[in-house]
Formats: sequence, C-alpha cells, structure tokens
Amino acid sequence: MRDHVSAVMSEVMAKNPAEPEFHQAVQEVAESLTSVLERHPEYRHAKILERIIEPERVVMFRVPWVDDRGVVQVNRGFRIEMNSAIGPYKGGLRFHPSVNLGILKFLAFEQVFKNSLTTLPMGGGKGGSDFNPKGKSDHEVMRFCQSFMTELSRHIGANTDVPAGDIGVGGREIGYLFGQYKRLRNEFTGVLTGKGINWGGSLIRPEATGYGCVYFASEMLATRNETLEGKTCLVSGSGNVAQYTVEKLLQLGAKPVTLSDSAGYIYDEAGIDRDKLAWVMDLKNERRGRIEEYAMQFKTAVYTATDPKLDHNPLWAHRAQCAFPSATQNEIGAKDAANLLRSGVYVIAEGANMPTHNDGVLQFVDAKVLYGPGKAANAGGVATSGLEMAQNSMRFSWTREEVDDRLRIIMRSIHKACVATADRFGSPGNYVNGANIAGFLKVADSMMDQGVV
Amino acid sequence: MRYRIMDVLLVASPYDSFVLEEAGQLGERVVGEFRNLDLHYGPGLTTVSTGGEALALVQEPSRFNLIISGLHLADMNGAQLARRVRELGLDIPVVLLAFDSRDVQTFALHHDLSAVERTFLWQGDARILLAIVKYVEDRHNVVHDTQIMGVQVIILIEDNVRYYSSFLPAIYGELLHHSRRLISEGVNTSDKIMRMRARPKILLCSTYEEAWEAFTMFQEDVLGVISDVEFPVEGKLSLEAGLDFARAVRAAWHDVPVLLQSSNPDHWVGAADVGATFLVKGSPTLLADLREFMTEYFGFGDFVFRAPDGTPVGRAYDLKSLEERLHTVPGESIAYHAARNHFSSWLKARTEFALADELRPRKISDFADAEVMRAWLIDTIARYRRQRSLMAVADFDRQALRGGRIADDLFHRIGGGSLGGKARGLAFVRTLLGRQPVVEPGGDVTVAVPAAVILATDVFDRFLDDNDLRHVALHTADAADLERRFLAARFPADVREDLAALMPALDYPLAVRSSSLLEDSQHQPFAGIYDTFMLANRDPRPELRLERLLRAIARVYASTFSQHAKDYIRATPYRLEEEKMAVIVQRIVGAVHGTRFYPDFSGVARSHNFYPIPPLEAADGIAAVALGLGRAVVAGGNCLRFSPRYPQHLVQFSSVKDVLASSQREFWALDMVLDADMRESRFSLDVAEADGTLAALASTYSRENDAIYDGISRRGVRVVSFASILKYGEFPLAPILQRLLALGTWGTGAPVEIEFAVDLARRELAFLQLRPVSIQHDDEQLAIDAPDPATLVCASTSVLGNGLVDDISDIVVVDRDRFDRANSRRTAADLARFNAELRGRPYLLVGVGRWGSADPWLGIPVTWDQISGARVIVEAGFSDLTVTPSQGTHFFQNLTSFNVGYFTVDPTTGFVDWPWLAAQPAVRATSTVRHLHTSSPLVVKMNGKLGRGAIWKPAT
Repeated sequence: MRDHVSAVMSEVMAKNPAEPEFHQAVQEVAESLTSVLERHPEYRHAKILERIIEPERVVMFRVPWVDDRGVVQVNRGFRIEMNSAIGPYKGGLRFHPSVNLGILKFLAFEQVFKNSLTTLPMGGGKGGSDFNPKGKSDHEVMRFCQSFMTELSRHIGANTDVPAGDIGVGGREIGYLFGQYKRLRNEFTGVLTGKGINWGGSLIRPEATGYGCVYFASEMLATRNETLEGKTCLVSGSGNVAQYTVEKLLQLGAKPVTLSDSAGYIYDEAGIDRDKLAWVMDLKNERRGRIEEYAMQFKTAVYTATDPKLDHNPLWAHRAQCAFPSATQNEIGAKDAANLLRSGVYVIAEGANMPTHNDGVLQFVDAKVLYGPGKAANAGGVATSGLEMAQNSMRFSWTREEVDDRLRIIMRSIHKACVATADRFGSPGNYVNGANIAGFLKVADSMMDQGVV
Repeated sequence: MRYRIMDVLLVASPYDSFVLEEAGQLGERVVGEFRNLDLHYGPGLTTVSTGGEALALVQEPSRFNLIISGLHLADMNGAQLARRVRELGLDIPVVLLAFDSRDVQTFALHHDLSAVERTFLWQGDARILLAIVKYVEDRHNVVHDTQIMGVQVIILIEDNVRYYSSFLPAIYGELLHHSRRLISEGVNTSDKIMRMRARPKILLCSTYEEAWEAFTMFQEDVLGVISDVEFPVEGKLSLEAGLDFARAVRAAWHDVPVLLQSSNPDHWVGAADVGATFLVKGSPTLLADLREFMTEYFGFGDFVFRAPDGTPVGRAYDLKSLEERLHTVPGESIAYHAARNHFSSWLKARTEFALADELRPRKISDFADAEVMRAWLIDTIARYRRQRSLMAVADFDRQALRGGRIADDLFHRIGGGSLGGKARGLAFVRTLLGRQPVVEPGGDVTVAVPAAVILATDVFDRFLDDNDLRHVALHTADAADLERRFLAARFPADVREDLAALMPALDYPLAVRSSSLLEDSQHQPFAGIYDTFMLANRDPRPELRLERLLRAIARVYASTFSQHAKDYIRATPYRLEEEKMAVIVQRIVGAVHGTRFYPDFSGVARSHNFYPIPPLEAADGIAAVALGLGRAVVAGGNCLRFSPRYPQHLVQFSSVKDVLASSQREFWALDMVLDADMRESRFSLDVAEADGTLAALASTYSRENDAIYDGISRRGVRVVSFASILKYGEFPLAPILQRLLALGTWGTGAPVEIEFAVDLARRELAFLQLRPVSIQHDDEQLAIDAPDPATLVCASTSVLGNGLVDDISDIVVVDRDRFDRANSRRTAADLARFNAELRGRPYLLVGVGRWGSADPWLGIPVTWDQISGARVIVEAGFSDLTVTPSQGTHFFQNLTSFNVGYFTVDPTTGFVDWPWLAAQPAVRATSTVRHLHTSSPLVVKMNGKLGRGAIWKPAT
C-alpha cells in the first residue's frame, strides 16, 4: 500500500513540477488515507486517488484592465475546478500577488474534502489572480473585477461552479463580480456566495463559525448524555468566532469565563454574561480597543498580560470543563494541552484553524477526551455558503432563526459522520480520524457511483 | 580708497532669501554701525536661486562685489560657481554658506575649494550675513584703515567652521551693542573714544602662521586676541598652539588682552599661566562670557539727538523710537541733524535705503520752519513703517487698534527680535499665498494662515531678565519648580498692555504655540520638542482670559528649558543659551460642537514620501489626515494616509481587515469646559457622530456583508475613510495639497512638510505650519555588493540615509525574545538611560516594532531625546506581529535632519542576526535592553538612492 502511495506521489511530482504546495497537500492526504485505501481495493482499481488529485478542469486566462492613469495592466486569472462528484465546484477566489497555479491547486484539493465534510452538496474548487489589491483605487478594483468576470463567466454558473470570497476578495469585490456576471449573462442566479444581504446573501455568516463550534461541542457531549448547561468554558480570542461562541454558549446555559487578544487575557470568575458580552462586542467591534479594558470595567475579572517568556498560556490552566480555542493557529502547545487535561477540561472544540499543536492533539486523543478538530468543529463557516446557495435556488431567504436551525442540523450531521467514520475505521471516539476520512469517503463513493468520468 | 561691499549677490533658494528678509529686521538692531563714522553705507542684497542666473548678473559691469552662495544650487554647486566666476576673470570674492556642518566636511572632501574665499555655516542666526560682509571688507581694508586711520584689529583664531560661524556674528554683534552702552553710560575717556572712532577690524585666521603674520603686521593696533587652543602649526594640528601664541603675543605687548577658548577645560591652567582669560567652548554661557569679556573693550551706538552745542537731547535705537523721539526733541535739534544729513546717513546704516533716499534731497530750507519739517519727518517715517509692515509682519500698534476691529487676517508681532522658526515659516507662507493662488479659479475654498499675534524673542529675553530667571532656567532639573517660577513671573508691562488691548478682539479659542529660533531651522528641526497649549478662551471677562493666556505663554517659555529640550539640544551643535523662544498666539480653526471645539479634520502633508508603494513615487508626496485636531496625526497615531497625487489609492485600506485595523478610532478636540491643563482631549467616534462631524468623513463596515460602504446611512461600524472628500471630491483637498506642496517646495528649494486644518462649513483650509524637510545631498553612492550574510548583523532593502559609518562600537539592542509589548514604556525608559550613559558616543540601536510609536502596543514609544545618540537605527518586526513602518511626522523629521541611518527590516528581504547579538557579552543589561561594546567598530553602508544597506559585524 505504501508503494502505491509513493508511486502516486512520484507521478504527481513528475506531472506537476514547480508546485511544491500541491505536492505537500497530496502527500498529507494520501498518507492519512493509507488505511482507507487498504480496506477499499475497489478505490485502487478505480484509481480514485489518481483521479482525485487531477483537477477536472483548469482555466487560466488573461485579465487585461486599464488603471487610473490610463496604463494597460495585465494579470493572470485562474479557476481550478477540482472535483464535482457531490455538487457544483465550490471554493473561494483569492486576489493576491502570491497566487499561482500550485497554490490554487493545493487550496482546491483541500476544499474538496472540507466541503464534503459539511454533508452539503458542494464540490471543490478554487480560483483567483495575482492581482494585488494593495493601493488600488475602488475604480481600479472594479475594472479588474469586471475584466476577470468577463472571462470567468463562461466557466461558472449556479449549477456548475459557484465561487466565493477569500483573501483579497471581500464584499466589495463579490459585488463587482456579481454585477458583471449578471450583466453578461442577463440572469440573476446564485453564481457567487458572500453576496450582500439585499441581493441574495444569507444571514448568520459572521456568527456561523462560533455557533457551529458550540453546536459541535454540544453534540460531542450528547454522546456522553451531557449538555453544556452549567459547564465552565474557556474561550480564547475576542474576534467574531470567540464572540459568537460566547453568545451561543450563553444561550445553551454554559458559563464562559475567559477571552483574550494578542496582548493578554481576562478571566472573569463570575462568568461573562449577556451584558458583559454586549460590552465586549462594542469594545472590539466599534471602539476596536484592547481586552485589557474589560478588567477595568468589570471588577470580577482579572487581566493577565501575555508573557512571551512563558512556554504556555495561563488561560488554559483555569479550572473548567470545556475549551474553545478561537484565536489563532498553534495557540495550544504541549504544556497547554497538559494544563487543560489537568484542570478538568474534557471537551475541546476548535473554532480557530489548527489551534492545537500536534503534540497537544496526541495528548487529547490519548486521553480520550472529546476533542473536535477544527476541520469538523469550525465547518459552520463553510456550511453557510451551502446555505446561501440553497436559499438562492429556492429564491427565498430564511430568517435568522431558520438559518441558525439549519446550521445546527448541519453540525449534527458532521458530528454524526465523524463518529460513524471513526467507528467504521476502528478508532471510536477519535474525531480526528473521523473528520479526515469522512470527507474523502463521500467523494470517493460518489466517484465510484458515477463511473469513470 | 576703502573697499566697500555695496551689493551682495546671494545665490540661494527663495526660502533662504525669505530668512534674510527677516535678517533685515534683525539687522535693524545689530547693524547699528558707528555713530559718527561709517554711517553712509550698508550693502544691498540681491537674491537669485541658480548659478546660471548668478553668472549672468555678475557680468554686468561694476555691480556686485560679493557673492554668497549655498553649497548646492539647482544647476551647479557653490565651488563650481566660484571657479566659473574666476574663469570669467571677475575679481569678486565668493563665500559659501553651508547649512549643515556634516555637509561642509563632505563637500570639502569632494570639491576643489581653491576659488572660494571661505566657507561659513548657517546656524539660524541671520547676523552671519553681516559677519560675512564685514569679514570680506575687513580683509581688504585692514591695511589701509590701520595705517591711515589707526583702526584697531582683533585677531580671531579658529579653524572650526562651526565655531567661527557662530563667534564672528556674535563678536560683530556684541562689539556694536556694547559700544552703544558705553556711550550712553557716558564713559568717554579720551582713549576709549579714540578706540571707538572707527570700528575695529576682525581678522579671522585658521593657522598659527597666518595669525602670527597678522599680529606682527598690525601689532601696534591689536585690540585683542580671541583664540582657540588647538589649531594647526606648520601644517600639523598642535594641541597647545593657542597657548604658544598667547605667550608670544604677551612677550611682545604685555597689555594685549587674550581670550583663549577650548572644549578641553584642562587648558585653564595653561591659559592662566600666560595671563589669558579662558572659556570652555561647550559651556552654555559661552556667549555671555564672551560678551562680558568684550564689554571691556569694544562697542558703538544709537542715534543721539543733540542740541546745536552738542548736548544730547534724545536717543533712538530703532526706527520706531526715532519716530517717537521726533515728537519730543527740540526743533533746533531736528534742524541741526537735518542740515547735516544725519537722518538719512543713520537710516542708510540700517539698510533703510528707500526711506533714506526719500529724506536726503529734502533740505531744511524746503520747509517753513523746523516744526513743519518735524511733522513731515514723522509722517514720512510712520508711512514707511506702515508700508513695510504690510509687506512683512506688522508691529502691533495699540493706538491703531483703538476703536477698530481686528481683521480676520491679523498677523502682528509684539516686541523686537526674531519671530522664531515656526512663525517665520507662517509669515513666509502668507507672502507665498499672496503671490500665487492655490485654489481653482472660481473655487469657493479659502486657503489662509489663521489670524495670529507673535511675541517675538525680545519679549522672551525681557521676561527672563526682568524676572531673573535665566540662571535657574539653564541649571535646574526640577521641572515643577521651573514651571512654578515661570508662572509666578511678571510680563513686561507694555507686552501685557498690548495683549490686554487685543483680548476683546481675540474672542475665539486660541493655540499658544512655540516658535523658537532653532525650531524648524531646516537642518535642526526641533520638531515637537516644545509645548503648545490650547485655550478655550470663553470667559466673558477679558481680564480673566488675558491671565490664562499669559499663563500659557509662560508655560511655553518654561518648556524651552525642560529636561526634554535640554537633552535634545545636547544632540545638536547648539547651546541652550543660543535658543530663544517666540510665541505664536493663533486662532484655532474649527467650530463648537456641544462642549467641544475642533476642526472637521487636520493633517500633515509632506512633499517627499519615504515609503512609496507603486504607483506612488517618492516625489508624489504623502499626506495624513484625521478627524478633529491634528494631534492624532503628528504623534503618529491611527489616521488616513494618502498621496495627494493619487487620493484614491489608499495603501493602508487594501482590505477590510486593514481598514478596521488602521483607521482612526478616536479623535482630539478642545474641551471647552474642562480645559484646565490647556491641552486637547480625546473622544470616541460616536461623539463625533452625535456632533454631526462624522458623516462627512466616514464609511460604514457591515459585518454581515464583510464590506465597507461609504457614508453612514447604513447600520454598522463607523470608520473614518475620508471617502466623500478623496473619492467624491466634496472638498478639493488633494488638488490643494498638491499645489501647496509644489509652492512650498518652490519657495524653500527643499522638500517641505505642511500642517493644516479644514473647516468644511466655512470651506476654509487653514495653513498651520511650513517646515522644510532635509534630504541628504551626499554626492557619493556606495556600492553594496552581495555580501556574505554570515558577516552581517543586519541587511535591509528599505533604508533611509546614505553614506558610510565606521565609528560605531556600541550597540543598544532590545531583545526580541524578552521584549514584552505590554511593558514597552519601561523599555523606552531603559533606552533613555542607556542613551544618557553613552552621551557623545554614537551607537547602533536595534529594536522591534515601530520606533517612536504613539501606541505602545505597536512599538517602543520613545521620544527623540531618549535615543538622540543613535547614529543608526534598526526597526525589525515583532516575532508575533507585523507592523507597518512608522511615518510619525516629528520622529521622521528628526531622523532625516540628524542624518541618522534607518533600517526597516522586512523579513522577506532582509534580516537581523539575533542569535549573534544574543551571543555577545553585555556591558550592562536590563530586563529587555542590552548594551554591547565591540572591540573594533562596525561598518554600516547605506545607499540612499537604492534604499539598500548593510551592517557588518566587527572585524575579529
């Protein structure tokens, strides 16, 4: 089996020279799937691995535009249509000078499994351009977007390929792209997600990741017949994810006690209640201040400044049952993981992307606590794209409550898929394995069903 | 035939020539030549800005007999100009006037100065021009005058351009100043009068041989010797040349006074041995001591009205007092002087040629009697003074104010002396704006300098002297005590009365701003060193408002002597004693909103952008604007930066995240109720929204849509984007700034920085400050080939500064790993201590984050004086956060002026060898800062054109 994987890898490198990011992504996925391919000779015979690493289609095109000084500029546009086994290609557009074919293929490849794990009918893709939005005027950005879409519009559609935003592509760019698509095709469809609320966007987007993460934790607890009610929760970060994690925790009766930013964290023994959360939201979103101010405002809280000399973050050493790392990558090191386990935490749901260092992950898995890796626990963000598509197809907008309800159902499905897959592959309760494999299985099975295409 | 300089051709930028217009005023006080001799002359000054123009002019027959040129002209340099003049066969001396002592050295190294008479250094004192003229004349006339007239000679031996450029004007100035006093005090013993018959000549020598030749030639007429101790003998620097010279002089003529000065106080003993007076060069009281020394020997006087029998009946020291005395002196005295052309002669000596020419042809016989003539004289002089003040800065006149309302464009001075750098810049802008419109024809925007009254530096001197504050101010380190003494001191009565007369008219909020002599001097900016205070000025009782105004002025005076200022001045070639403070009392532009007062927005624009990102180029300039008062901008806080040429290309607003992180979050305004400390206060943006001032400048962030929408009609987070102005042109800010920057650059001959404030309702852009920005003129470009990274401490592709530095053996480094952003203020204090300990020794400063940041989270909030000894600074990123490099106005102004190398290290294109730094033993260390000393010097190479640089580890 190892031979099979390394043969595939050699082939990948030979066929895709100068794409190191892509090589690495394929390598990681192929290795994590060794046991799957062992147990599924039919996948090998159907060359699922070989097919899944080859994009179904790559579109590369010229994007000429005229800048404000009247000078002609030329950028390169891409759309990688990676896999449509379970639904239309779906994935972001990135405008950044570092964009090249290798990076986009790597991102598109990962997107296939992320989307599959949401249990929604979304294939995988990615696109973008080496256009640098830095220092460009609104008009230049608009002209670029229009030129980009003029070509891209031939390749996408609500039932074919539905791009979204990514780095360098926010609400403004989605607006310009959508406007040009509509003008060229004379149709108003859900061809892009991330649209403005007034013209096809979905509610609950800023909330989705935080809410979803709490739902996932709640599902994990349910496997032990427990709920979040009365649980003390450590939350790191103070951005969107952390704020809405706290909000949902409060709705479900839990007691969040910490929040942080890059300078330090606050520990509020009395719990962060709704009023305090409203104050934090004003502080962070409107005034854009430091979390330190929380401790000045609320006397029950203690502020601790970040100490770069420490090899751990004292936030994770407070007594609690649940932890929601929602700040940044690698925020939980080996010592933090040990502290968490020692202080009684047995539910960890990752709102941030890869917040736990590998050592920590191993400790959690060994300790058999309820550890929901970000891949699964923060899939709520990806899922809302699917929900936007669904609403567009129905030409109908759900209320906030309806979207939230859908989100909860999706998170439950993701959880279920992880648990079932982990069981099936002999590591019950191991959400890491479950999440890694579940996404792949759904795509692989669909490809099997659809024949050699 | 005596040699006279009648016409000087000054080859300099328009800004420098403006400085000299003010020199005319200064001149009125100091040019006061001899009372009885030498009256009939004073040189005319013609200014051109290029070498080409100069060469065209000097070829006109018998016109100019002195050329004073800057080192760098648009089309050639000063040395080339001198050679060209000589090649044309013209016998016109060419003197160079440099603006930077480093520049003098570099220039001398790279250019042939054989055709140049001598080089002088501009140090903010306009009397240098007088000194240059006198110096050249004296050299030509000394033989004739000593032989025929018995004129005395002072031998000045000094080889350092900086020192002789400061001594020479001081000696000429003091000479004349004290001579007046001698006469007025009636000291008229015959020998002293003899000595005053003609002004002593000063012979400037740079070597022992030159000085000895002068001495032997004029020994009977030598009035005294003022000499350095160390200067060249037989081509080699001798450490005791001055002592030897003094000994030789005393041997020949035992009564010739000798003053020795040295930066080495140990020479005191040697000086005492030879019977010479000794002064320490670095001493803050050097000039006063020099003055005291010279009081014994030199000086000349005022216009003394006399009765026909010679009895003095009145005395005038300037034009104004001449006019005043004319009211009161007896008619027979007027007739006496008029018959002898004394008035026109005296006026000519003061360079008042137009007035002198008007008076001269009128004979006493033209008038019915002396009273008619008196009236005519008074009227003519008054008219002339009025006219002159319209062109420049008018003297404030209490009488004229009576009954009338002060105009909106009020711009007056109170007191004599200099306006100081900042006020001079403003006065210059007024004349520039008068000449050239900067708004579109038909546009409805006003661009103007807000109404101001300037207390010139004489008021400062009188305040210090009357209250006996000078000594304590120079020597105390106790800031609170100093301020208490200044607040308790009394202002001169006439100044108080002038301000009291103004108070009813000054019924708006006022800024009380420092304008020191050295502030904004092109190469020593003193930016942000002294205090500015703001007064709500709302009390209906003018007398109470006056008291508060006087307190604010006293506090600005006190800030001249703050520890901050003392530390700063130590890093410059100046002595604190040379610094004088003028004060600008100026209308604050803005409007009342609730209990606050502020302009819609304020900003700073610079014609040179140190960090241009394409399509921007360095020469396109950069502006920074913020809602409210300008403190947010000058202190380097969150504000909006844009290039006036590309107002829609906002680099800092490239993504939604960037906008949220870098846009303004709070603003500064004057609290009209709580203005106890006379400073602006901070408010949050929702206050501005409630005030109605946010709408015109803001956009709204929608979390739901992850997008920013211009205007505030939608719900969401408000961000100050200036969209309506920069994108939609609701106010023509960018085009006006482009024109103002171009005008300022044209006017000063250098890149400039301007400060402004805008009132949108009144469509008014108020011009608050103009400051030339110094840019290196270094001719050489260093090649920095790909060095072996292992040999380097640091490399960067974003370097400010140019040249080679190879005399640094000390490194002060902020430890990247131990540095804690939460405690950055403590780190700043540690740095200040190391800086103080290293006094005088240049060092390499390495740190993380934005240097001089106003936000202690983004970097180390040092002020300039805390790191004033740093010769090269490295700004590296944090280990955990990327911070856009600082462009804080004052910090960068200082950086470029002190010619400090500045390496911004972007980890993708450069590096700092942290492990190497960590491995070096520390001389001393605090928790986050280490001082390292290397056995041999580091080598720093900077290529300013390419913006590249590298720092080599010491050779082992």
